[in-house]
Amino acid sequence: MKKRSSKAVSLVLITAALAGCAKPQEEKELKQRVFMRADESAPYTEVTEQYGSRHRGGGMGSALLWYMAFRPLMGGNMGYASQGLAAQSNVGKNAAKANSLKTQTARGGFGTTAKSGTSAS
Amino acid sequence: MKIKYLTPSSDWQQRLEKTGFGYHTEDHATPYWIEHYYYSITENLADEIYAATSDLWQMCLAAVDHVIANKLYDLFQIPLFIQQHIEESWENDAPSLYGRFDFAYDNYSKQLKVLEFNADTPTSLYETGVVQWLWMQQYFGASKDQFNSVHDRLIQTWSDLKPYLKGETLHFSCMKGTLEDLTNVEYLRDCAIQAGIQTKLIYIDDIGWDGETFTDLEDEMITDIFKLYPWEWLIYEPFSLHIPNDMAKANWIEPSWKMILSNKAIMAVLWQLYPNHPLLLETYFEEPKGMEDYVKKPLLSREGANVTLYKGGRIVEASPGEYGDEGYICQQLASLHKEKSGYAVIGSWTIGQEPCGITFRESDSLITTNKSRFIPHIIEN
Repeated sequence: MKKRSSKAVSLVLITAALAGCAKPQEEKELKQRVFMRADESAPYTEVTEQYGSRHRGGGMGSALLWYMAFRPLMGGNMGYASQGLAAQSNVGKNAAKANSLKTQTARGGFGTTAKSGTSAS
Repeated sequence: MKIKYLTPSSDWQQRLEKTGFGYHTEDHATPYWIEHYYYSITENLADEIYAATSDLWQMCLAAVDHVIANKLYDLFQIPLFIQQHIEESWENDAPSLYGRFDFAYDNYSKQLKVLEFNADTPTSLYETGVVQWLWMQQYFGASKDQFNSVHDRLIQTWSDLKPYLKGETLHFSCMKGTLEDLTNVEYLRDCAIQAGIQTKLIYIDDIGWDGETFTDLEDEMITDIFKLYPWEWLIYEPFSLHIPNDMAKANWIEPSWKMILSNKAIMAVLWQLYPNHPLLLETYFEEPKGMEDYVKKPLLSREGANVTLYKGGRIVEASPGEYGDEGYICQQLASLHKEKSGYAVIGSWTIGQEPCGITFRESDSLITTNKSRFIPHIIEN
């Protein structure tokens, strides 16, 4: 009789999850905490996580840091740049800066039909 | 095709839970997974189901082509804004993974009849591909066989689809708070990982729109996404209008053309295209057209909701729900296989365009619902 069933069934996600349970917690990479503020009238905000060298974007990749760094050129009567300068003109070829200038990401626009406890099946 | 009993191991619940199958019993009382009996089927029946699934898949592809070529979207209640997206996904052969036909099997005529095609978000895949296979190993070892190469086919199909993905990461998505959906999605993701694809999980309501593309929680652009979330829900939600405007033109898996096949209107279209085909039940839009024994089903009903059975023109069974505003089909009443334990429906999987496995769902009534039990099977001659 011709075999019709799978030869073997193994799963990698479950194995990885079990291995993860036994993994010792990693030490925090940064001992030094980093704070920033927009100007002398604003409160300080901790940005230690965004500043870490292992953070995606190489340490200076977060939208918050790029906002802080380039806000004076972004209009809104908050800085020294001419209001005639479009914010996009300050981007150049830097993708991280471009991301900081993008429209803020909206979420929650999918999933509204689903009711709690219902299945998609 | 008949029920056979065995003595279950005393620790079967724990064994299932160790494999990640956490919903074998509903509310700690109602069984979903059946451990102590199974369907024994012949190799001939397995061959028949394989051939029927293969034939129907080809008929369905022709039917989609017919619907698109003749722009029959109104029959399916598909809104205008998504129609071009459907056409592009069809013309571009956008990646598609799977589907499950549900069959009735008549004991007397020995004939399979297709009840519907779960083409967009079929579940019970984990139960079929993993739990059912492990159940066979537990009780029969290598001495018996199943019609069940689901696991192998999933890995192979993801591997085949990999060159057609647009980005480096394939996202997987489902609703929060439903263990069944999450288990199915994680199983599919597991198989994609085994096929060498980089993956991420994101819940459907966490998907972002940045004005140009869809993004995940780390603001990574979504270029390819498997969603266990029905198209007919997606297209009425606030982000739906972004789908045709997505700069990344993300691959949605299943693709939007599957909206046509997952709609029960396709059963009426198939009957128009292939009248009196032995695998089909007589089916019409809205009216029974002279049939006295028939089932009235909403076009988009899920889990057996709002289904009404008529015999001799009178209602004999009906299920509650919130569907029906979108319209109905009237489908000839099928003869379901019946055992002492209940009525059975055969689910037949096609993955990567190839039939590869079956499931049996058993109900106390003629309507299959989310309370229907999963029965494993064995091929025995």
